[in-house]
Amino acid sequence: MIKQDLKVLEEKSIFVIREANAKFKNVAALWSMGKDSTTMLSLARKAFLGKVPFPVIHIDNSIDFPETYEFRRDLAKKWNLDLIVADSEIKPDLVGAACCGKNKPETLKKVMAKYGFDALIVSIRRDEHGIRSKERYMSPRDKNFRWDYKNQPAELWDNYSSKLDAKGHIRVHPLLDWNEIDIWNYIKQEHVPTNPLYFSRNGYRYRSLGCTHCTVPLKSDAKNVDQIIKELGDTKEEERSGRSMDKEREYVMQKLRALGYM
Amino acid sequence: MIINTVTLLGHKDHGKSTLIGSMLMHTGSATKVRINEAKMYSKRLGKAFEPAFILDSFSEEREGGLTIDTTRAQIKYKDSAFELIDVPGHEELIKNMISGASYAKFAILLVSAKKDEGIRPQTKRHLFLAKMLGISNFIIAVNKMDTVKYSEHRFEVIREELLKFLEKIGIEGRHVQFVPISAYTADNLTKNSKNIRWYTGKPLLEIMRAMANHKDSGSSDGNIRIILQGSMPHETDSLLIGNVASGEIKIGSNVKIVPQGINAMVNSLFVKGSRKRSAKEGENVAIKLDKLIKTDTKGSVMYNQDYAKGNSANKFNALIFITKAIKGKVIIKFNGMDIKGTVKIKKLIDTTNGLERGAKGAQQLNAANAEIKLESKIPAEPFSVSKELGRFIIYQGDDFSGIGTITSIIGK
Repeated sequence: MIKQDLKVLEEKSIFVIREANAKFKNVAALWSMGKDSTTMLSLARKAFLGKVPFPVIHIDNSIDFPETYEFRRDLAKKWNLDLIVADSEIKPDLVGAACCGKNKPETLKKVMAKYGFDALIVSIRRDEHGIRSKERYMSPRDKNFRWDYKNQPAELWDNYSSKLDAKGHIRVHPLLDWNEIDIWNYIKQEHVPTNPLYFSRNGYRYRSLGCTHCTVPLKSDAKNVDQIIKELGDTKEEERSGRSMDKEREYVMQKLRALGYM
Repeated sequence: MIINTVTLLGHKDHGKSTLIGSMLMHTGSATKVRINEAKMYSKRLGKAFEPAFILDSFSEEREGGLTIDTTRAQIKYKDSAFELIDVPGHEELIKNMISGASYAKFAILLVSAKKDEGIRPQTKRHLFLAKMLGISNFIIAVNKMDTVKYSEHRFEVIREELLKFLEKIGIEGRHVQFVPISAYTADNLTKNSKNIRWYTGKPLLEIMRAMANHKDSGSSDGNIRIILQGSMPHETDSLLIGNVASGEIKIGSNVKIVPQGINAMVNSLFVKGSRKRSAKEGENVAIKLDKLIKTDTKGSVMYNQDYAKGNSANKFNALIFITKAIKGKVIIKFNGMDIKGTVKIKKLIDTTNGLERGAKGAQQLNAANAEIKLESKIPAEPFSVSKELGRFIIYQGDDFSGIGTITSIIGK
């Protein structure tokens, strides 16, 4: 995993966040309390001198880890976030990718419609998953949240898509260029608050956070940010290896994303 | 470390994705899991091992054997790191090729040496487009040398024809290096191949390393150009926000906002959330001026006052590349703004041979000298003076129709 220049990454992300905020009327961001979306909020605070200027949405299926809820409460208060908690209902007959493909996007659709958001900041990274590396910084979704991946808009010279379907929205991806190790190096450099689940307890830690049903921890003794950075320098495992839905069948992420998954 | 972005160019099936896959493998940049997956996909589709499958792909791409949309892969080689941008070679996917290639520092053009392949119209068109995108250094990799018994003659024929074309479109030979390779068999990738002893130059990755370490002399003229993204509230103030495209801005700088034509002085500056005395190229700033700007400044430019060209224009000459024939009104995208206008084609240029034609004829996939007229003024400059303020995109409705670079300003 290549360590990139944090200054370059930071400037690009700040530019994209500011551009989205200026370009669209009603912007919101997804916040899962994970390392990526929390880093994005830290960048947004830099972009707007300490204040995140848009609401942050947590799609809450009520089966997140207790540590995650505590982290949400504390940081929302400390950073004075305009937090929207969107309750998502878990249907017992849906498991794995079917659950992620249905519950989360359905809840998101409702909350987007309720508040009339026309742009949604999502903290995905190109190196996380093959299909995410095909994304644009700004990518239109239609009213059914579908991603027309075979006909994406041109994106060059800091000109981004203005294509807004009725009831559709633009996904904004300010962290697209970052690698997993860059996130951790940035967390270290900027003292970004971190969900405690990332740190080792009883020989295990979470490397990627989903909800309690579908995320398994990996064997690790990394108890702090420095140890995680060292561990990532040596690893040959893929980041989302603890996320069961990615493995059910090939191209599952392509299918999920095409249908509106984040 | 600094990552050098490199785009692949060339006709479909000349081996762009295969070369990236092969470089990932032979530099140790791909995990075993990925290589095994690629083996599995190859087997399942009844193919011999295909290195291109190591790259991130849509199902349609692996099954159809083509690249639909651009993707990126990072490799590390000795002291250098590269982000390789894969782009589609198909004509109908040129919009995606342009998007991908626009991020590159230099380019690797692939030409297949295989019988019946060789230089194709798209080979030359990609070179033409890359030059328009501002790419000035090229590696031309003559690929599939294993299929022509590593023939020096075949390599020379391709090299000579391309050198002539490069001269015609104004790319100097000293900015281009040729290398014979086979992406599939890894000839001349990291080491000089024993099969190609007549070639005395460096292998591909060593050429890339040299290009990465080559410092650009810097084209900036030092003038302040800050592309503004509007304003934001801060405490009781209103600050202008934007990105410094060139020059250095300081507290006390006398600036002019264009196209508004307002003069002002910088009172305070913020970079990444902290108060600073100055900000330089590449940085995102928030600026408090000695006066309040009441009009919308999204897409406006802040210049140093003494820079005479800090003016606005609504009419200019441009070199354009057309992906969809232009009829009637267009939308010009310029630094995040959408402005209505018209395009008048003066002379068409065939991008496969560099020859000029009249104003009539097939536009699609060709270039043109054109006159652009806009409904409102923008802070424009020739591309040769400022890359950032000299380039634009052409749309017709929702349809991407081409790109352009400004050659001269006509009217103010």
